[in-house]
Amino acid sequence: MKLIVIQLITAGIGSLGFALMFGLRARHLFFAALGGMIAWGIYLGVNALLPGAFLPNLCAAAFAVTYAELMAHVQKCPATLYVVPGVVSLVPGSSLYYAMDCAVNGDLVGAGAYGHQTLIVALAIAAGISLVTVCRELRTPK
Amino acid sequence: MILSKEQQTELAECLLDMGALLLDCGAEISRVEDTIGRIGRAYGASHVDAFVITSLIILSMEFDEEDSITETRRVFSSAGTDFYRLEKLNDLSRRCCAAPLPLDELRRRVRHVAEGKKPDSVIFLGGVLAAGGFAVFFGGGIADGVAAAVFAVVICLLQKRFGKTRISTAGSNLIIALLAGLGVGLLCELLPVLHMDKILIGDIMLLIPGIAMTNAIRNMLGGNTISGAVRLIESLVWAAALAGGFMTAMLIVDLIVV
Repeated sequence: MKLIVIQLITAGIGSLGFALMFGLRARHLFFAALGGMIAWGIYLGVNALLPGAFLPNLCAAAFAVTYAELMAHVQKCPATLYVVPGVVSLVPGSSLYYAMDCAVNGDLVGAGAYGHQTLIVALAIAAGISLVTVCRELRTPK
Repeated sequence: MILSKEQQTELAECLLDMGALLLDCGAEISRVEDTIGRIGRAYGASHVDAFVITSLIILSMEFDEEDSITETRRVFSSAGTDFYRLEKLNDLSRRCCAAPLPLDELRRRVRHVAEGKKPDSVIFLGGVLAAGGFAVFFGGGIADGVAAAVFAVVICLLQKRFGKTRISTAGSNLIIALLAGLGVGLLCELLPVLHMDKILIGDIMLLIPGIAMTNAIRNMLGGNTISGAVRLIESLVWAAALAGGFMTAMLIVDLIVV
């Protein structure tokens, strides 16, 4: 439980950090960080029910984009502003690192497994984002 | 609004400036094409064709049957992300579509947005929070977070420095990863309480082209296959450079320590 709380808080801090780095205006910062935090919560929730690398990340990314579209509508700004802080905690930095670490130490099986996981997560994020975007475009006239 | 020939050229220049700026801020291709098209039509063009890829914009506007103009612009952008200017451009474009501003006013405002960057201190603070936060997020302790935050400042400074030179993004990733990897590796040898892997993961998050890669895939699914493919390959090269730099650093640290 303590671990979950720490992860949620640090996911929020990380999202806030990226929002600042990318120059989000002050009025967006709180909701951008909150979005990143909830997205990670969704990941943890789905992962607890259906563990895996693909589905939890897909659901979390799909949530982040839905949230971003909603905020874009409320705040009258491009949705991208909220998509990036929302999905950043899902970015597979850790499995990329361990893939490199294994490769350097000659553990090619480990490197392959971590590299594979990195790709799956990247694909899941892209698929989650695209699913929501496609659903929105279904309702947009040409 | 009826535009003279000079005004048409001025409008085209303005639209190309806006398009190049949007690309530089990390906007999706479809947004750039859409913005150029909307503003062009708001200023009285009967037909606007904008072809945009990450490194080039071709704009062609028709005003009457016989009256058309075509301009191209080579764009040098490095897939940066600047939501501050992106949002301002978006506001400007909304305003122009509602009620077109006089051309010299539009030109002045575009230039104003181009020059108005966020202060470095905010970007550095962001880097510190992001690296520190993610070092703890991925299982590090408070000390690891602090160390990652310190190296985040170093990374931001190096990125700023290299941004002013001719070095490519891949080259700068390689060198920054190498230096950061060496610094963190040696620090962890001096202070064994720190976890090298957690600190480096926190700092990797700052350099990893995750955003560029996601945007690339979004561009491709949106039908802009060329730009998406170009950016996807670019971001894979950047990730490979990053990995190469860190791997070299780890090997050197291992050699020094043993």
